[in-house]
Amino acid sequence: MRITPLEYVTADNLSQAVELLDSAGPQAAVLAGGTDLVLNLKKKRACPCILVSLQAIDGIDRICLENGMIRIGAMATHDRLARHPLLREKADILCQAAGLIGSWQIRNAGTIGGNICNASPAGDALPPLLALDAAFVTAGTVGETVISARNFFTGPGQTRLPSGHLLKEIRFPCPPANAAGCYMKLRRRKAVDISIAGVAFQAALNEEGTQVASAGIALGGVAPTPVRVPGAEDLITGRSPKEALENARAIGAACVAAASPIDDLRASADYKRTIVNVFAQRCARHVLTTLKEKGKPQ
Amino acid sequence: MGNPAPPYDVVGKSVPQLAAREKAAGLTRFVTDLSLPRMLHGRVLRSPHPHARILHIDTRKAKALPGVKAVATWEDTPKIKFGPRSEDWTIFASDKARFHGDEVAAVAAVDPDTAEEALDLIRVDYEVCPHVVSPLAAIAPGAPLVHEESPGNVAAEFNISAGNIDQGFDRAFAVYEDSYYTSQVYQAYMEPMSVIAETDLSGRLTLYTGTQIPNMMRMTYAKALGIPPEDIRIVVPEYGGAFGGKMENNIHLVAAVLAKKAGLPVKLTYTRHEDFLAGNPRVPMHIDIRLGATREGILTAKDVRVVGGAGARLVYSQVIVSTACYRVDSLYRFKNVRARGITAYTNTVPTACYRGFGNSQSTFVLESAMDELALRLNMDPAELRIKNGMGAGETSVHGWKIGSSGLKECVEKATDAIGWKEKRKVKQPLKGIGLACCNHVSGNRPFAREFDGGSAMVRVGKDGRVMVFHGESDMGQGQNTTFAQIAAETLGVPLSRVHVAQVDTDVSPFGLGSFATRGTLMGGNGVMAAAKKALAQLAETAGNILCVPPERITCRRDMFYDVDAPDKQLSFGVVASQATIARHGAPVVGTGFYKPPTELPDPETKQGNISPAYPFGCQIAEVDIDPDTGQVTVTRMAAAHDVGRAINPMSVEGQIQGGIAQGLGWTLMEDMHYGQGRLLNADFVDYIVPSAFDMPKIDAILVEPEEPNGPYGAKGIGEPALNPTMAAITNAIHNATGVRITTLPVNPAQLLARMKAAGSPGPELARNQNDRQDTH
Amino acid sequence: MTLPPLHIIVNGEDHHLMVPANRILLDLIREDLALTGTKEGCGLGKCGACTVLLDGRPVHACLLLAHQADGCRVDTIEGLADPAGTTLHPIQEAFVEKGAIQCGFCTPGMINTAKALLDENPTPTEDDIKLAIAGNLCRCTGYHKIVDAVSACACGSGKGECHG
Repeated sequence: MRITPLEYVTADNLSQAVELLDSAGPQAAVLAGGTDLVLNLKKKRACPCILVSLQAIDGIDRICLENGMIRIGAMATHDRLARHPLLREKADILCQAAGLIGSWQIRNAGTIGGNICNASPAGDALPPLLALDAAFVTAGTVGETVISARNFFTGPGQTRLPSGHLLKEIRFPCPPANAAGCYMKLRRRKAVDISIAGVAFQAALNEEGTQVASAGIALGGVAPTPVRVPGAEDLITGRSPKEALENARAIGAACVAAASPIDDLRASADYKRTIVNVFAQRCARHVLTTLKEKGKPQ
Repeated sequence: MGNPAPPYDVVGKSVPQLAAREKAAGLTRFVTDLSLPRMLHGRVLRSPHPHARILHIDTRKAKALPGVKAVATWEDTPKIKFGPRSEDWTIFASDKARFHGDEVAAVAAVDPDTAEEALDLIRVDYEVCPHVVSPLAAIAPGAPLVHEESPGNVAAEFNISAGNIDQGFDRAFAVYEDSYYTSQVYQAYMEPMSVIAETDLSGRLTLYTGTQIPNMMRMTYAKALGIPPEDIRIVVPEYGGAFGGKMENNIHLVAAVLAKKAGLPVKLTYTRHEDFLAGNPRVPMHIDIRLGATREGILTAKDVRVVGGAGARLVYSQVIVSTACYRVDSLYRFKNVRARGITAYTNTVPTACYRGFGNSQSTFVLESAMDELALRLNMDPAELRIKNGMGAGETSVHGWKIGSSGLKECVEKATDAIGWKEKRKVKQPLKGIGLACCNHVSGNRPFAREFDGGSAMVRVGKDGRVMVFHGESDMGQGQNTTFAQIAAETLGVPLSRVHVAQVDTDVSPFGLGSFATRGTLMGGNGVMAAAKKALAQLAETAGNILCVPPERITCRRDMFYDVDAPDKQLSFGVVASQATIARHGAPVVGTGFYKPPTELPDPETKQGNISPAYPFGCQIAEVDIDPDTGQVTVTRMAAAHDVGRAINPMSVEGQIQGGIAQGLGWTLMEDMHYGQGRLLNADFVDYIVPSAFDMPKIDAILVEPEEPNGPYGAKGIGEPALNPTMAAITNAIHNATGVRITTLPVNPAQLLARMKAAGSPGPELARNQNDRQDTH
Repeated sequence: MTLPPLHIIVNGEDHHLMVPANRILLDLIREDLALTGTKEGCGLGKCGACTVLLDGRPVHACLLLAHQADGCRVDTIEGLADPAGTTLHPIQEAFVEKGAIQCGFCTPGMINTAKALLDENPTPTEDDIKLAIAGNLCRCTGYHKIVDAVSACACGSGKGECHG
């Protein structure tokens, strides 16, 4: 499979990368891990004239906790995310999702930034990021912008990434100790498959450990973009985990209402709705039961 | 000269493949790894339409592209209609493209990039025609015709009957009837099809390619190219799997046409996408079955109708449909059977052989039906099989003579290994256990009309190196190693002495090839016969030196000795050297063949004995069902197979485990999806095959009744390894949910819907319902 | 803009090569360096036959541009046995002895993934092994004997020898 001749530039730092992107205009493409881009080059779905590689930029794959915010460099690979001790402790939902992306080979090359910018409705990292209230920091020649994950995606492969910008970092408020999260996806085989429908469910208790203080529920693969489901979140917040658990069916129904899946060869829209319902309830049970155990005795 | 008797020194031992170390080191040169000096790279332009008239092809721009050395279309071919068993092939589409992926033109250029660029420069004007994909739709009135000369799209018909079907059903207490469908699935060998073609100054063509049937392919291609077979040489390097998929295919002929036109070697390797589009996947089949048994569980009658989809031309689908019509009839003691088979042209890729050859499809159907009968008879499905199973010494309804049968032992060993009785008795919610049996052949008399046996040459050099030449094909299953073990045992030498030559039609015997689970028995017997001839010559030399008549000489563990005075010894090496010296350099060459005691079926009654031996097997699957999603997980399998003697037990286990993986994939995930006549999932993104994580623990159990016609008692295992897997799993699903799966692969959404509609009854409930039906 | 020469260390050997930007790492390995042990099974990162180790981590050589490997170590199957090729690596030996090899086309990629797994986790469970190699498709063996072979290389497997 032939890739059309093109130019390849390795940026030494972020500002150089941004300048290269700016000067090349729409004919440039950002090369992160390449697992999607090289595939698209081979399939002629993308025909850029110049590739700007970010891989030599120092620190762009950093994962850290600063001032209550978890910050993930866009070039962090899925495999690093899946195993990162900080994330495992604070935002395991992201580790779960990253660990379910593709094969080990893909996870070693593919990056979270790439997953976000490709904006596949099935992108596994996206629903957890929505659920975690993440924001994306983009860099351009005239400075940085911050766009919330909820507003970032506009359609399959479409985002609000400003033209000439590149995604630099993902940030989200570090969930408290009494939080829990769960990501489930439907696959056609037991490992290494694209997500046909995914549910991300993140919730945290208040400081007293009595009530769910915040919840983020998001779906993947069942709409043109990943979607948050505030209607389901409202059924949880302000309630004790026990009370919230009683709403499991309603949570499932709210998630189904928020989904607008299509029939495709992977599954019918009906079946995707069924799965959203089932997985939303399973996630709810898993997360709320965990929270119940984490909460103080009532 | 005595024949070796058990215990054997080499046969029956688990040994790694001869080529395993090279493969592990990454040093094996597969077809895709080969190159020749000045070799060009070919690419094929394929029809984007499932059915379209070709109005005009303009190749001028492609020809003008620097680096392009040849562009070919139908006009550049001998324009001969041909086919392995038909005359519906052409090299390149002539008037019409008949499937999405049909070969329209091809380019050879100095590198793959240039070839691909040139493809974009070829302009083809099409007039799109209505198309038909489903085999049933194809034979319905008014369907678009794939070939105008075949009305109703009927490519072939097959009818068979024995006994009296009506009387059989009259005697039945329980009758089961249903319609099944099995999907078009892809072999997914890991190395895509590839070939290097070159023509010498005399016009003689050499093909380097991975093929299961080098000699038969040569005959077909000679016709296609309008040249005598001796002007084609086929060399078979190591290649990466086939499973039935690497037989005749236009890839070789396209490369040959390009090579001739360019006057240079041309390599043509399918991309994975192309291999999906233009390989030869399994024949999809609609099978209607009616099966009856007495109250005691004795089968009384079986009636089936098979409609198979051939795709756009006949490769072997018509023979596969006929196999689906009747091969399973020799699994049980049937008396009254009838089958009607129709092979229908459709606008899909031509379908052909895939491990099981039609018997997979019908075993799925029969073994599903057997469980339904067991339910109606309130009988243990294992007992029903044992009660009807063919035993050694019996003759089947079509005249097949069962020399050995381990069927009963297979059922017993598999059920014991997995705890069948307890697990069927103590039913756990959403867990199920199911069983299926199978029979098969070891060679197929009617497949190649002229003969069906095997042959080999065994050459012993002055250095004592033993080289086995055969004309079959090791597609990766380990056939060469099995042959080497047979040769070593027969000659009385260690395995390390024996090597197996690459198949080369200029040198190798005219072997029929690797299909019909025939390699071990047919090829192995040929190797054994040749080794005996070589041994006799060596024994004569040894006898001369030891002053003993050759009849008293034998060889074991690398030493020739006098059977009456075993301390009179000579090493194999010394004898080989002396034999060559005595012949002034001529090597010791034994040429031998095996003529199996088979009978070509009568054209009318179809009575005959198509194989010298019949393997049997029994597989049991355990499944977990997700009650909310309908997802099925196979948690464990036991597979007991009657293989005669296992020449290489480790290799046989590998065949069983690999066959199960393919059967599991077919059952749970594999299907070639068409939309608007186009193949929608022509890649490993949406054509899913099992990963390591999908595979359960498998107990591979070898049942070894000595087969009188087998080399050292061996039969084949390749195809039986897959054949019962589908029904074992779907019978387990039925045991778990009460839902009968009649379409492969299992669709979780439909399973879920049917579980819900049935209120997800356990098998207890299902049985009660059936009992009530029977009493009406 | 001309690309600087690509510097990669393949099986311990330094290479400085002028490579066009659109060159895929797999093609560079197979064609430019003639290391045909690395296979192309699908070209789209879905079968794992092209698995090589990039700085010790398994990746699909078919989905990487050669320049993405600039400055990296690339290990292919040819580098695993000793340089003379006479002594196989214990993982290779285990694949041979356990019958984990049939057609052998998936074997180089499979062994590379197994090597990376055992390097970072010398005592993998059966599920660890199955998950690690889940991206390496094999159509011949049903994976059973492959998992056996990798298990046999684990520390404490009774072989008395810890690889790596």
